[in-house]
Amino acid sequence: MRTINNRAIQIDLLKSRLSKHFWFGSISSIFLLSCFVSKADSYPQFQEFSEKNSGRSVNCAMCHTSGDGPTGEGPGQIGSLKAEEIARLNSARAALEPGSQVESPILNDFGNLIIKSLGKRKVLALRDEPAQLSIALGNRSDLDKDGICDGQEYLDGTDPLNAEHGDPLKLFRINLSKYKLHICLALLAVASISFGIVRLLKAIEILAAVRRS
Amino acid sequence: MTVSDRSKQSRKIDFFGFLVERFPLDKMNIKHMLEHKEVPVHKMSWGYYTGGLTMFFFMIQVVTGLFLLFYYQPTVSDANLSVEYITKYVSAGALIRNMHAWSASGMILSAVVHLITAFAMKSFEKPRELTWILGVVLLVITFTFGFTGYLLPWNQIAVNATKVGLQSVEDVGQYLPGLLHDVPRILRETFQGEASVGQSTLGRFYALHVVLLPLALVLLLAGHLLQVQLHGMSEGVDMKAAKTERFFPVFLFKDLTLWGVFFFILFTLSICIPFESFLPYPLLAPYDALGATPAGIKPEWYFFFVYYPLELLPFWVIILLSGMVGAILVLTPWIFAGTSRKVLGFIASLVSVYLIVMTVFGEQIYHLLKH
Repeated sequence: MRTINNRAIQIDLLKSRLSKHFWFGSISSIFLLSCFVSKADSYPQFQEFSEKNSGRSVNCAMCHTSGDGPTGEGPGQIGSLKAEEIARLNSARAALEPGSQVESPILNDFGNLIIKSLGKRKVLALRDEPAQLSIALGNRSDLDKDGICDGQEYLDGTDPLNAEHGDPLKLFRINLSKYKLHICLALLAVASISFGIVRLLKAIEILAAVRRS
Repeated sequence: MTVSDRSKQSRKIDFFGFLVERFPLDKMNIKHMLEHKEVPVHKMSWGYYTGGLTMFFFMIQVVTGLFLLFYYQPTVSDANLSVEYITKYVSAGALIRNMHAWSASGMILSAVVHLITAFAMKSFEKPRELTWILGVVLLVITFTFGFTGYLLPWNQIAVNATKVGLQSVEDVGQYLPGLLHDVPRILRETFQGEASVGQSTLGRFYALHVVLLPLALVLLLAGHLLQVQLHGMSEGVDMKAAKTERFFPVFLFKDLTLWGVFFFILFTLSICIPFESFLPYPLLAPYDALGATPAGIKPEWYFFFVYYPLELLPFWVIILLSGMVGAILVLTPWIFAGTSRKVLGFIASLVSVYLIVMTVFGEQIYHLLKH
């Protein structure tokens, strides 16, 4: 009974945020929301797996806009959404099959990519086998373009949206290959400067000796 | 003249003599400090390069720090954004920032290695007491650089770790007697500047990090280097070295070549491994005063040698040990004046093992003993 009451309160809250023009078209969405909103759609199974697999601390910010998860009144959380954002949230929640263009305001680019490429139904099914999420995502997508695919970043517990964050050893290998020209140039510069300094020091020494004599 | 007057006069003469011996005016010339300076060659000669390496990393710190100054905003609203801007949008910004972070670690590591090798080589022997004491103060300043710089990105780990650090400073007060009791609290209030770590703290840490500490370090470093050049390199080993090499240009060239090698290593590391990739990403999120404190808040790796014992042992034990270590470090030239290099080498090895074990395995040891 208490859960039903809570659900009703949350629906009322959402209703009050909907704009006048949007209200009539949203009845079906509100119905859908009533199925999901009781506990916002955060699936801690994925976070727990990533944390366990990588040994690193992971939080909701891997897939969600807010690091504290989708529930709450803060930025990127359900309680703070505007009417237009709720519409986007609803459309993301209705994207049961892969291929839909979703832009959920409570999800970040990685979260939206998961829904786009797998669909909500598959995500729900993967909760029991969170390790399979990486395989399902494949290795094509690399949102931050750091050379480590998003699925692998999920396994490593690193930020898939930050090119400056990844498994240090993997980043080292990738960047070493990516920047080999820069590194060769740096080596050349260091060698040239060292060569120049030797000559300079020797010249100073000779000059000093000449002056002494 | 009374006995007490005579004693006072003799103390004055002693002090004057002490200064004259440490700052011999007749040796303050290019000929003595550069042209005629010889460096002993023996199995511990590598120790002579650690000081120069520390200075090299400091120079990298200054140059990269100046570049970062162009874009960094020391306000709680913009600090994290400006760091993100530097990393993402400024040309070579990520590289400069990584070089700054990597070289900070390099500077602290080489300073510690320099201190340990100088101890093992008995480089604090008369008349090099001042060189040693200045070196110890420089090391403290270097650690303070690390502590103040840690806050500047204004992310979760930065602010929370600073809060813990400042709280620890205040906690020391309860173990101090009399007038000293309030000193740590006053220190904390002075550096924090307001009720909690906020804008005043950031401003003060920024001022310390970019103005006061560099100035202090440059002045003390000048004194340290002057002493090194005036008194030359210490023998380093018990037997007088059979071979020596000229400081200018032979040793200087080797030193500069080593700097070149380390610059290349630093460049490669900075371009290939972002320093922050070692930390869990929730700790790198902008600081949120209203949000939950993320798990895993800890200081930089160079404080692990004191951080993990602090987590395991009673606070008073750590204060006592820290006080003792501090006093021993300052008084080393007198405490170990008669100690052989063999014994000093053994002590230095023990200290090195402790530092390496606590830095590398400190977390595992902590979990093992706690659970």
